[in-house]
Amino acid sequence: MRGIIEVDGLSFGYRKGEPVLAGLTFSVGKGSFTAVVGPNGAGKSTLLSLLCGSLRLQGGAVRIDGRAVGDYTAQTLAGKVAVVRQETGAVHGFSVAQTVMMARTVHFGALGFESAADRQAVHKALAETDTQAFADRPLASLSGGERQRVYIARAMAQETPILLLDEPTSSLDLRHQVGMLDLLKAGQRDRGLTVVAATHDLNLAGRYGDEVLMLGGPAGYEHGAAETVLTQENVRRFFGVEVAAGLVEGRRVLVAVGRFGR
Amino acid sequence: MRSLLTPGKLVLRLAAGLAVLAAVCAACAMVGSEHVCLSEALKGPGQAGGVNPDYEILVHIRLPRVALAAVVGAALACSGVVFQALLRNPLADPYILGISSGAGLGAMLAVIAGFNWTFLGRSPVGGFAFAGAMGTVWLVWWLGRLAGRGQMTGLLLAGVVVNAFLSAIILFLTSVARSEIVYSTIFWLMGNMTEGDFRVIWVAAGFVLAGIGVLYLLAGGLNALSFGEDDARSVGIEPARTRLVAFMAASAVTAVAVSLSGLIGFVGLVVPHSVRLVLGSDHRQLLPLSAVAGAAFLVGADTIARVVVAPAQLPVGVITAIVGGPLFLVLLVRSCRGAGGLR
Repeated sequence: MRGIIEVDGLSFGYRKGEPVLAGLTFSVGKGSFTAVVGPNGAGKSTLLSLLCGSLRLQGGAVRIDGRAVGDYTAQTLAGKVAVVRQETGAVHGFSVAQTVMMARTVHFGALGFESAADRQAVHKALAETDTQAFADRPLASLSGGERQRVYIARAMAQETPILLLDEPTSSLDLRHQVGMLDLLKAGQRDRGLTVVAATHDLNLAGRYGDEVLMLGGPAGYEHGAAETVLTQENVRRFFGVEVAAGLVEGRRVLVAVGRFGR
Repeated sequence: MRSLLTPGKLVLRLAAGLAVLAAVCAACAMVGSEHVCLSEALKGPGQAGGVNPDYEILVHIRLPRVALAAVVGAALACSGVVFQALLRNPLADPYILGISSGAGLGAMLAVIAGFNWTFLGRSPVGGFAFAGAMGTVWLVWWLGRLAGRGQMTGLLLAGVVVNAFLSAIILFLTSVARSEIVYSTIFWLMGNMTEGDFRVIWVAAGFVLAGIGVLYLLAGGLNALSFGEDDARSVGIEPARTRLVAFMAASAVTAVAVSLSGLIGFVGLVVPHSVRLVLGSDHRQLLPLSAVAGAAFLVGADTIARVVVAPAQLPVGVITAIVGGPLFLVLLVRSCRGAGGLR
């Protein structure tokens, strides 16, 4: 079966002779949820940047919906893929609603103004991400976690079939972490949204991801169903950390075991 | 979602701005070292043989000068907005990529070479300044690209270095040139508003308005680029194309302003920031309203420059800095107190 994202022999390095990704091949099925995990510097963000065309390919191929990512214009790709980056900047002079409305830029009319449909999409995204209460506040006055939700709202308002997220829950409190992942999962179930999310939380990756891609730099990578990839042995091999694994109320969890942790 | 800009809000604010601009222009045209009686001036040019001094002063001296200040102010404020957005640097002004020193060097070379020919009845100094400005921007753009695609820091540094290099050449020429040449160049560099030919001002106004029109069409792209290149691309804006067109339009508009009136500092920095502090950064609103505010500001500043030590005149750049600086600080402090931080 052909995936909506197909990665074939992807290689990339920022310096000659030091590849970050080497020979990466996997496929993301339409309407699936893929969690990308791996240690710092293993290339999670790099991979997402390559998937959305922010970085130029060096070797291999990336196809989105059957077409090479480099063949898309920025405008057509923005109709397919929305991105939430790790750094969510606070740009002065823009309100939350204005920031989220930016997702609709390509739909604006000839004079550069939004339609009722654009407003509807923004309104819905603000409500879903629990950000409508500060829709008119300046972006720069929000906390890190609130801002992260605004950028997720912007990606939702783009109404694309594919959503790429780089550590979307890193600054969120417990309620909003779970809320955001549930929101993504609901989008997957109700609208057939395809989600690729990088995360550091192996347990969240296992509970929400249908598939897990574990990147390990020079050690290679593993891709497959969550329960086959998130094993004690893989975590030891890729992260260099011992983990205890067990069932908590019927759910499999991994707990890192340090030298001095109790 | 009240903070979103609607066409109605924009039209209303723009109309209010234009009304204020018209009032400022009218008031400033009536002020000067010579008293002008409006009812006398409206009687038109004198009958055959006689001249109507009120009409002559208003139509042939005051109005061209007010119109010129409005065109230059609008051009500088608008390109200031664009450079701040593209370079993502609040300290950027229209001259940051070397336009000032390029234009200055062009003008100085024209004076030193002693060109006394005229082209379509015009001295070549303005033309040389325009060529110097555009040539320098092109050089800086090319150097910036060597630093790598999308490296705004590289572009900024290239601009700073080229500016410093050309300024050194200007200083060198200043130290070896004859004093009257130095005097006329310095006078030009400080900014002067002496263009009296309405046709030239109309052409420049058309050019500047066209430039502002092009920039307005890029407003959505400038909004997205304020968030950085990657963000812009992911919402569907091609950064390289938007940036190139915006740079070229803003540089051309600035070069027109500089070739007409020399270097007038502060307008391109203070006016965009003031408008931004009051109305936010949405470029669909920021661009046109900065143009209107810049025009009104420079018309007012130029009027002060020509009346405060009348019959002598101050360089208008002195007034823009003296008036603009404190005005800007007041807005900055008020905004920081009011909104719990910069908006």
